[in-house]
Amino acid sequence: MILRWWLSTSALLSSLTIVLVFGFLLQSSWPLIQQQGITFIIGDEWYPFESLYGMLPALVGTVWAVALALLIALPCGVAAAILCAELLPAQLRGAMRFSMELMAGVPSVVYGLLGMWVLLPLLESQLDLLTGRTLLAAGLLLALMILPTIMVLSEDAIRAVSQSQREAAKNLGIGWDAMLWRVLLPQAWPGIRVATLLATGRAMGETVAVMLVVGSIDRIPDPFYNFLQPAQTLTSRIGREMAEASIGSLHWAALLFCGLLLAIIAIGLSLLIQRKVVAA
Amino acid sequence: MVADLRHDDFLQAEPAGPLESSQNQPSAVLTVEKLALSLAGKEILQQVDFSLSAIGVTSVIGPSGAGKSSLLRCLNGLESGWTGGVKIDGNDIRQWPGGWDQLRRHVGLIAQKPLVFNTSIRANVCFGLHGWRQRRRADGLVKASLQQAALWDEVADRLDAAATTLSVGQQQRLCIARAIAIKPKILLLDEPTASLDPLSKQLIEQSMLQLAQQIPLICVTHDLEQAQRLKGQVIFMCDGRVIEQAASDQFFRQPQQIETREFLRWSVCDCD
Repeated sequence: MILRWWLSTSALLSSLTIVLVFGFLLQSSWPLIQQQGITFIIGDEWYPFESLYGMLPALVGTVWAVALALLIALPCGVAAAILCAELLPAQLRGAMRFSMELMAGVPSVVYGLLGMWVLLPLLESQLDLLTGRTLLAAGLLLALMILPTIMVLSEDAIRAVSQSQREAAKNLGIGWDAMLWRVLLPQAWPGIRVATLLATGRAMGETVAVMLVVGSIDRIPDPFYNFLQPAQTLTSRIGREMAEASIGSLHWAALLFCGLLLAIIAIGLSLLIQRKVVAA
Repeated sequence: MVADLRHDDFLQAEPAGPLESSQNQPSAVLTVEKLALSLAGKEILQQVDFSLSAIGVTSVIGPSGAGKSSLLRCLNGLESGWTGGVKIDGNDIRQWPGGWDQLRRHVGLIAQKPLVFNTSIRANVCFGLHGWRQRRRADGLVKASLQQAALWDEVADRLDAAATTLSVGQQQRLCIARAIAIKPKILLLDEPTASLDPLSKQLIEQSMLQLAQQIPLICVTHDLEQAQRLKGQVIFMCDGRVIEQAASDQFFRQPQQIETREFLRWSVCDCD
C-alpha cells in the first residue's frame, strides 16, 4: 500500500513538473504576449530599450547552428559507428567507445573555451574572416558535442541487428557493402533516428559553448545562407541577457518566451522520438 | 497448390562463375572429400566423404550434434575454417571466382528458423538480386519464385504487404522463394519444416520435390518420415562422420551399418 502510494506520488510529481515548467514559462512571458500578441515571433529586430523583441534572428540562428551541427556530426557519427560496430577488433572498439563516452561527459563550458582558444583563431586565419565568431563556429562546436551521442547510440543500433539477419543476407550472396546499405542501416535506422533526435535536442539546448563562439549579434545572416557571419541563438540570448533584465519587465518576459520556444521544440522532439520508438 | 512451372523458366539469365559454361545443364554435381572442421578445439566434422548426383533430394539425418548443420554451413562458405575438398562440377569452392559471396549465389541455404527482412513480400523475394533496376523489374521472377515455393496463391494479391505479417510457415516458403529467385545451382535446407504445422510441412515438401527435379537439394532433417517421403538419397551422420549413404528405400529397408540400425530403431546414436 505504502509502495503504491509512493510510486503514484512520484509519478504524479514527475508529470506535474513538466506542467509547472510550462506554466511558469507561459505565465512569466504572458505580459509580452498580452502587450504585443505573438507577431513578435516573426519580428527581426531585438531592441529591448525600444520594446522590440523580434525572435526571428535567434530562431534562424538556432536552426542554422543545429542544422550545421547535424550536417557534420550525423555522417561522421554514423560512419564511426559502422566502423566501430563492424570493422574494428574488440579492443580498439572498446577504446574508441570509451573515448566517445568521455567526450560526452566533458562539461560544455570546456568545449566553449576550446572553441574560443582554438576554433575561432583557426577560422579567422583559414577563412580570412574579421572574426571567427560565426554560425559556422557554433555549428562545428555543436557537432563536436553531439558526435558522441550519435556515434554511441548508432553503434548500439547497428550491433543490435541480429546475426541471423546478417546470415540471411550472406546466404543470398550479398557482400558486406551491400549488406550495410540494404540490411544493417535500414534495420538500425530507428535507433539512428532516435540518436539524431536526441542529439538535435542537445544541440538546440546548448547555451554556454554556443554563447562563447556564435557572436551574439541579433540579425538574420545576409544572405540567409551565409554561415560565416556572427549570429544569435535562443540559448545564447538567454545566457547573455538574463543577468541584465529586471525581473517582471518585458525584457525578462521576452527572454522567458525564448525559453518557452525552446521547451516547445524540445517537447515536440521528445514526442517525435516516442512515436518513432513505439513504431520501431 | 504447387504450380507446374519449370525452374528453367528463370534459370535462363546471367549465371556467374564457373557455371557460365553450363547454361544448358543448370544442375551441379557436388563432391565432398575428407571434409573436416574444428571449432573451439572440438572436432565437428571428421573426414566427411560423399558425392551427389545432378538432381534429386539428399536427406541428411542423424542425432543432434552430429555435424549436419555445420556440414551445410561449410558447403556454402559460412564456415571457412575447414580442411579437405568440396567441389561443385569439379570446381573447388575455395577457388570460386568472386569468392564466398559469389559461391553463395550458387549454393543457397535455407535456415531452420524462417528469417524475412522487414520489408514487403515482393522486396524479400527480390532481395538477393543485384541492382535496384533488376529488383524493380522482377515481377515475372517474383511470381515464378513464389509459385515454386507454393506461396503464390496465398500472397498474389498482397505482394506489397509486410513480410512479417505472414505466418511462420508462409515465411519459410518466402525464404525458399527468396533463395530460388537468385537461381542457385544447389539448395541446402537446414530443417526447413521443423516446428511447422502439417499443412505448411506438406507444401514445403511438395515444393522441394518439384525443385529437386531441376537442381540437387540437401535437406537436413530430424524427421525420418520426411526423409522417406522425399525419397532420393539419405546420408546418416554421427559424431561428425558420414556413417552410411544409400538410396532412401534401401536405407530404411536394409541399413548396412550397426549405428544406422540402432539409430533407426531407437532414434538414438550409440556410435561408441
